[in-house]
Amino acid sequence: MSDNDKTLRETPDPQDGTPRTTGGRTPEVAPPRRPEAPLPERSVPTAPVGPGPLPAPVRAAPEEAGKAGAASAAPTTDGAAPAGAGADGSDGANRSAARTPDSPADEEAGEATPAGDGPHLTGRQRLAAGLWPPRFSRAQLIVALLLFVLGLGLAIQVQSTSDNSALRGARQEDLVRILDELDDRTKRLEDEKQRLEDQRTELETSSDQAEEARKQTQEKERQLGILAGTVAAQGPGITLTIGDGAGAVESDMLLDAIQELRAAGAEAIQVNGVRVVADSYFSDVGGAIEVDGKKIDAPYRFKVIGKPQDLEPALNIPGGVVQTLEKEQATATVARSEKIVVDALRPVERPDYARSSSQ
Amino acid sequence: MIAVLGLVLGVVAGLLLRPEVPAVVEPYLPIAVVAALDAVFGGLRAMLDGIFVDKVFVVSFLSNVVVAALIVFLGDKLGVGAQLSTGVVVVLGIRIFSNAAAIRRHVFRA
Repeated sequence: MSDNDKTLRETPDPQDGTPRTTGGRTPEVAPPRRPEAPLPERSVPTAPVGPGPLPAPVRAAPEEAGKAGAASAAPTTDGAAPAGAGADGSDGANRSAARTPDSPADEEAGEATPAGDGPHLTGRQRLAAGLWPPRFSRAQLIVALLLFVLGLGLAIQVQSTSDNSALRGARQEDLVRILDELDDRTKRLEDEKQRLEDQRTELETSSDQAEEARKQTQEKERQLGILAGTVAAQGPGITLTIGDGAGAVESDMLLDAIQELRAAGAEAIQVNGVRVVADSYFSDVGGAIEVDGKKIDAPYRFKVIGKPQDLEPALNIPGGVVQTLEKEQATATVARSEKIVVDALRPVERPDYARSSSQ
Repeated sequence: MIAVLGLVLGVVAGLLLRPEVPAVVEPYLPIAVVAALDAVFGGLRAMLDGIFVDKVFVVSFLSNVVVAALIVFLGDKLGVGAQLSTGVVVVLGIRIFSNAAAIRRHVFRA
């Protein structure tokens, strides 16, 4: 209605011949106080309408006058507004009164007519009348629709503003600075990320290397353990059993057999539960045979891991171990096996003097 | 009453539905809302004055919104969008204040 006000406000100005300034309105405040002045002034626009609507503005005039009088007591700046409202109001009432015959179904115009009829209907009463009871008229619905749109826009705007309120109010240079800082920070973080990734790759490689070295060491330890007799071993091989019915077998014969087996590629040997390794020795003690200080009795069972196809012929060659033993009234039998278990162990002995020179 | 209901419904719908505003309309929405607010305050004042005409209200509401958006659009094209927006808001704010003063006089008689 503000445009309405504007157009209406412009209308009385030529009629009044007063400029639309605050100073110009002050005389407008004054005329309603003098009943003679406003009446001819207002009768000009109402005249074409007819005598019917005439009372409306006339009665509106004292009402506005009362308000304007109250307004004059108020500060001048505020007082200017109701003064204009008074002028607009009276003129607008004329206009709505003039519209009444044009659109009788028009609800708001109809509302204006009782306003004219009831001279004591104040703005507050009009507000109450407008609020209750609710009336479903075309005008109300249209206004409701427009206000719905307004509320929608208001809510949307409020929400979109509160979404990123931190940056919305910032000045342009602040935004540029923030952007620069963010860029710097991003760069720093990227650098750090790169550095950390490099470090991770390095660590992974080194840990891979360490793992590989550890595996190799374990493998080597196992191999060396087999040689040193500290771990059990299994694999294909042969079993050599030497029976000594006549007591003719001596330690050198067993040692010959061991040498022969080693020459043929034996990898792990045990004799009657004693592991034979590099520093093993055979000795004759009181008619019995000792291996590494442990007495062993006939029959002597050699469990040998190696290639059976090499080991067996090595023992059976003419003039070899088997023939020599048989010549001494002993029996020697060789049996191949796909799985020989050498599980006799030697304790790990730390050498007294020799130290590894690889470290 | 129906009008107040419409306003409340609009706010509730806007808060609940959270519709996405098209990017084209986005810069004009705040100024359009302010313009519409001005129209609403003017309409309320006219109602209290007893001179409310729905047709005028509708036309003023729509034209306010359109003109405000147009001014902002023109300002954006001329490179003075921010300043022109401020100007529009100031003008509309003054009008809203004067209308609110008139409404206050009606309602509180002070």
